[in-house]
Amino acid sequence: MMPPKQIASIAAMLVVVWLVPLAARGDSAAKTIPSEQLEFFEKHVRPLLAKRCFGCHGGTQAEGGLSLATSNGWQQGGDSGPAIVPGRPEKSLLIDAITYRSLEMPPADEGGQMPADEIAVLSRWVAMGAPDPRSGDGAIGGMTVEEARGWWSFQPLPAGPELESRDIDALLEREWLARHLAPTPPADRRTLIRRATYDVTGLPPTAEETRNFLADNSPDAYARLVDRLLESPQYGVRWGRHWLDVVRYADTAGENTDRPLPHAWRYRNWVFEAFRRDMPFDQFAGLQLAGDLLTKDQPTPRHAEGIVATGYLAIARRFGHDIDADIHLMHEDAIDNLGKSFLGLTVACARCHDHKYDPINAADYYALYGILESARFAFPGCEPKGQPRDLVPLIPQAEVDAVMRQWRERHDRDKQMLLERAEATKRVFSPEARQATQVVQSGAVAEGATVDLAPARLAVRKGEVVLLAVEPNASHGADTTLVELWIRETAGPQRKWSTSDIIDTLTDSNPREINEATWSFIELTKDGPVFLLDKADSLGGNGALKKWSLGDIPSVLVNSADQQVMVWTTLPAESFFVHPGPNRPVAIAWTSPLDGEIAIEGRVADVHPTALDGVTYRLEHIASPATGLALVEAGRLLAQSVPAPEPPPAFPVAYAVVDREVAKNAHIHERGDPEKIGDEVPRRWLAVFGGNEVTTSSESGRRELAAWITGHPLFARVIVNRIWGWHFGRGIVASANDFGARGERPTHPELLDRLAAAFASHGFSVKSLHRLVMLTDAYQRASATPVAEDPDNRWLAHFSRRRLDADELRDSLLAVSGRIDLSSAEAHPFPSEETWKFTQHSPFTAVYETNHRSPFQMVQRQRRHPFLSLFDGADPNASTPGRQTTTVPTQALYFMNDSFFHEQAAALATRLTGLANDELRTTDVFHSLFQRDSTAAEHDRVRRVLTAYKGDTEDCWAAVCRVLLASNEFLTVE
Amino acid sequence: MGSTFGPRRAFLRSATAGSLLFPGIIESLWADSGDPLAPQHPHFPVRAKNIIFLFMTGGVSHVDTFDPKPELTRRHGQQIEANHPEIKGRPGYERIYLKRPQWDFQPHGRCGTEVSSLFPHVAGCVDDIAVIRSMHTSHSNHYNATLGMHTGSFTFARPSIGSWVTYGLGTLNRNLPGFVVIAPQQTYAGTQVYASDFLPGAHQGTLVVPGKEPVANVAPRVPAERQRIELEALRQFNEEHLAARPADPLLTARLQTFETAFGMQMAVPDAFDFAGETAATLAAYGLERAQTTGFGWQCLAARRLIERGVRFVELIDTGSSTNWDAHGDMLTHEPLAKNVDRPIAALLWDLKQRGMLDETLVVWTTEFGRTPFNNTADAKGREHHPWAFSSWLAGGGVKPGIVHGATDEIGLRAVDKPVHVRDFHATILHLMGFDHERLTYRHAGLDFRLTGVEPAHVVKDLLS
Repeated sequence: MMPPKQIASIAAMLVVVWLVPLAARGDSAAKTIPSEQLEFFEKHVRPLLAKRCFGCHGGTQAEGGLSLATSNGWQQGGDSGPAIVPGRPEKSLLIDAITYRSLEMPPADEGGQMPADEIAVLSRWVAMGAPDPRSGDGAIGGMTVEEARGWWSFQPLPAGPELESRDIDALLEREWLARHLAPTPPADRRTLIRRATYDVTGLPPTAEETRNFLADNSPDAYARLVDRLLESPQYGVRWGRHWLDVVRYADTAGENTDRPLPHAWRYRNWVFEAFRRDMPFDQFAGLQLAGDLLTKDQPTPRHAEGIVATGYLAIARRFGHDIDADIHLMHEDAIDNLGKSFLGLTVACARCHDHKYDPINAADYYALYGILESARFAFPGCEPKGQPRDLVPLIPQAEVDAVMRQWRERHDRDKQMLLERAEATKRVFSPEARQATQVVQSGAVAEGATVDLAPARLAVRKGEVVLLAVEPNASHGADTTLVELWIRETAGPQRKWSTSDIIDTLTDSNPREINEATWSFIELTKDGPVFLLDKADSLGGNGALKKWSLGDIPSVLVNSADQQVMVWTTLPAESFFVHPGPNRPVAIAWTSPLDGEIAIEGRVADVHPTALDGVTYRLEHIASPATGLALVEAGRLLAQSVPAPEPPPAFPVAYAVVDREVAKNAHIHERGDPEKIGDEVPRRWLAVFGGNEVTTSSESGRRELAAWITGHPLFARVIVNRIWGWHFGRGIVASANDFGARGERPTHPELLDRLAAAFASHGFSVKSLHRLVMLTDAYQRASATPVAEDPDNRWLAHFSRRRLDADELRDSLLAVSGRIDLSSAEAHPFPSEETWKFTQHSPFTAVYETNHRSPFQMVQRQRRHPFLSLFDGADPNASTPGRQTTTVPTQALYFMNDSFFHEQAAALATRLTGLANDELRTTDVFHSLFQRDSTAAEHDRVRRVLTAYKGDTEDCWAAVCRVLLASNEFLTVE
Repeated sequence: MGSTFGPRRAFLRSATAGSLLFPGIIESLWADSGDPLAPQHPHFPVRAKNIIFLFMTGGVSHVDTFDPKPELTRRHGQQIEANHPEIKGRPGYERIYLKRPQWDFQPHGRCGTEVSSLFPHVAGCVDDIAVIRSMHTSHSNHYNATLGMHTGSFTFARPSIGSWVTYGLGTLNRNLPGFVVIAPQQTYAGTQVYASDFLPGAHQGTLVVPGKEPVANVAPRVPAERQRIELEALRQFNEEHLAARPADPLLTARLQTFETAFGMQMAVPDAFDFAGETAATLAAYGLERAQTTGFGWQCLAARRLIERGVRFVELIDTGSSTNWDAHGDMLTHEPLAKNVDRPIAALLWDLKQRGMLDETLVVWTTEFGRTPFNNTADAKGREHHPWAFSSWLAGGGVKPGIVHGATDEIGLRAVDKPVHVRDFHATILHLMGFDHERLTYRHAGLDFRLTGVEPAHVVKDLLS
């Protein structure tokens, strides 16, 4: 039984007639019409005109110039003059036409003459004086108010009787009978189990499942098969994937570098789980739009689920180089998708101007825009902005804060201890060392300038130090300085050292031995040197930038990328930098491994011009062998005593959205240009559906939006049509994403309405709908080749034969090879965020092999997954209401030469060779692949292949398996 | 793999003759009209045997490329009125102003056809080209106009022009697809622009993505003898399966794809291996040796495919983003023109020096033009313009060195001898030997044709 509250809300939905706001209606005439006449018009005449006449005589471009959509329309009339003479039915062309006197309306091909009771209604109305409140002055978007009000898909759902499978058959029969189409007989049971199993789970039935079903002679065997399939966890994966098609799910962001979304999988798996649990579809939709808000006061696991569900919004495609600069395009993508997915409306067409065909204004678009903009979307990172941020923790913030506080305390304590130890190295520069120190050269580098060191030659002993120190001048703080130092042995082996040797591996160690010399990265205090202890292998999410520091601010850093990186300043490609602060000169010290002469060259450049006074550099020679050795030794000891830093605690996070602190209305972007700001629009529902405003001012309005959407009759119509289409290969409305003026009309309008009403009144249970549909005769009919009279099989006199889709094909190969992993996969093996160096020139690209089911494959936006693209997989950039089927030679090449295909065939062959002989193997493989017995001729053919092939048993059987796996029979569902 | 089939030269000949897979069977099949790709005679004899269709994605501005409008320069900034689809009811477009072309035009060649400085190399080929300056189309959206230019239908999915041509002519090389689309990225309307739709699946365009392995899985994994055994067994299984499901178009089409795929294993690597091309040829196309991307690569690959009997090669220059759609700034036309100018000129030169230009119809087009006006006097970009644009034809049966039709003095409307996309299609089909009204296919009880139900006319002036 349904809870009473739910019944009440559904009842409200069924009877409520949505209201067009008066401002847009322009129906001033309504005020002067007596109320009983107005009621007669609204109750009887308006629906009749919409049903019988608007097909040709609605709107502004009506047949014969006659529009019956407004009173102006029939007063002016068409080519034959005014259609109605108020009060005089006998003189009115309209009545003349519908009574089939001189004209015959509606014509035979539009349904033929109206029933007598309907003719009587219109005659009575004309006799009454044709009271008509529809002056037709108003328009919303591309429709007149009248058209919008009468638009078929916006109408309330009928409150009719319960719908059963046989009622569906009756409605279908009416249509194919009318078209003289002959239905096919019921499908045989092998066909049926194959069809139902693929349909519900996306997998082939096993030989055992087929055997059991064939052996079950009870009358409800098929019904129980359907129940069993719907209970399978694989059902959730299959039907969840259908939904992921609609919401254009992908595992990358789609901006210029196509960054991975390492946490998006939580949303993906939540969708699969929601279908498996048969979550009521209104709740399913609501959580995706506002799960964070709807579960706010619920226990942590429920709230976490609500947050994960909003991944639906977060996976909106990102655009451009700097995502924030093109954020309006992300919102367009989100609005486009939510309009199509939940309402079958192309709302995003109203971004730049009012919708050309549907009753949606630009203001409607920006009303929704304000709602979305008041939420903070998780940020995937992008080339100029580095790492992801605003990911949403899945445990309460207080818990996160507590753990982080403890970690930070430990971290700070360790840090303090280290700094104390680092102090010890200061003593390395003893008084003798200071005495032995000579400044080889020094100078000032003006702001933004580059200075080449004067080439120098020095006699050095092993252990002596050459040191390049840089410090800012008097007036300011830290400065980013590019340094290059080349040291060359002038005799003997002529070894060379250079700062450029250290760029790629800067953070390996400090001190750093290369070619027997040792580099030390230090800060120079008044008392002596301090080793830099803190390293980072990426800065701001850019793995090309590495640093050494004491604390957070880098003292030594490199850009290891082959192109410049813009951070606080532009860091040239493949360069080494020091970043000294006030009173904190930074030095790189080279300890000599040789006794002899060295030549020194170098360069110092201020790369952060700020109109101040540049830096000073000093090249020193510490001619004390003990000093260098002591420095290196102190550094080594220190490095050994440094415990590996405790990584910050990781929390489960979701790629999701949460409300911002302050909700704000959006302004219209004139012509869609975000720089041309127009009027503010309140956050509200579409005007054509009433335009209710968001009332909870502190929230974004997503909570209300979810309620408006799921409470509208379009919501049930659209999803019911999708489910029907996924079962039969074609929706009752063929354009599953467009129920507006440019969409197709339903082939079976009454069926669609009753399905939608039944769905809504049974708690939006998708599994109940599956049962209703799958138990019809239509679903269980034999398939056939399309007939010329009905090439698209609109009227369902037979079941549509179909090719396996990309996911089913791959999963079938894995299933029959025995390699399939039916467990639920989680995160993809993306490279860790710290290593990301993606740019528009080298975007993220990867294909990860896995034996998990295909819906778990990593899907990229900018580069189609090769398999999914070859076999018409879903478009990861735009909603895919239904998969296409193309047939091209490159697919045949896959069945001939692809390594994955060959591997599955080989694995199947290995299993078969475990059986005693070729006859048993043949029987087995036909059962596994086709759910049927093999014929004698087929046994012959297999034998002939085995003989001709001349190889070992496994090779021969691999060949047979390839043939059968490539066959049309394997690839087709009847 | 070469050894099984003899030296390459012999291979090329036999490939042209028919399938390598089951010579006997296929020879008979080949003659049989049942094979949708068997070579067929057109309605009347013509010179052109193949087409290279160059599609510039996003809407190339005619007034900045092939349609000189000095008057537009003179009247720059002048306010005009136009009941234009892109400005109708569009806020901010209540007033529009003429915008001058940003590149200079010069006469070129003996014929003196004027071309802007955006296309210096193509300008050098004008004596072989017939420029149409009076093109117009039915839609100002990319999606619809692109679909229209490819299928004749501006709304619904219909067979591509490439599919119609292979439907009419079959192909000359059973080991390559009859219709190949070389595209670095998908254009607007995605795969629909090269889909066969209701025509048999064999007429579907095969996508080649420039790169090291342009067509995946062409390298055989088992020795040829064994592969023959497998494919023969597969054919038998599939034919038996089909016999119980007669005339199912999908099943039939799939059967045929294995035939094509078998031959592709040899023919594809050969077609895309440029090792035998001379340094001079590579240089002309602007290619480095071993380079496998770029429009130059696409153009040279097109010549090699045509040479091998592929009937229809379409080259798409860019995808549905970062293309000629210069709303923001006309200067974005410059790198796009640079990308294609030299390779296209090289293609024309190369076809000509090999004596192939007579037999190859080269089509250059875009989906629509760009407005000669914008909503401010100093706007940098131009909007979509379906009323007028420029396309050109060269080679196979085209009258060379001419300019056909004209726009008004500001390039707003095609006024002299306007050529609608339907007329353009009718003319292309005529050049390929077809009466566009007779090249039809029955589907859903109706006879469909590329040019649709509205009247379309062959532009006789363009024929040599």
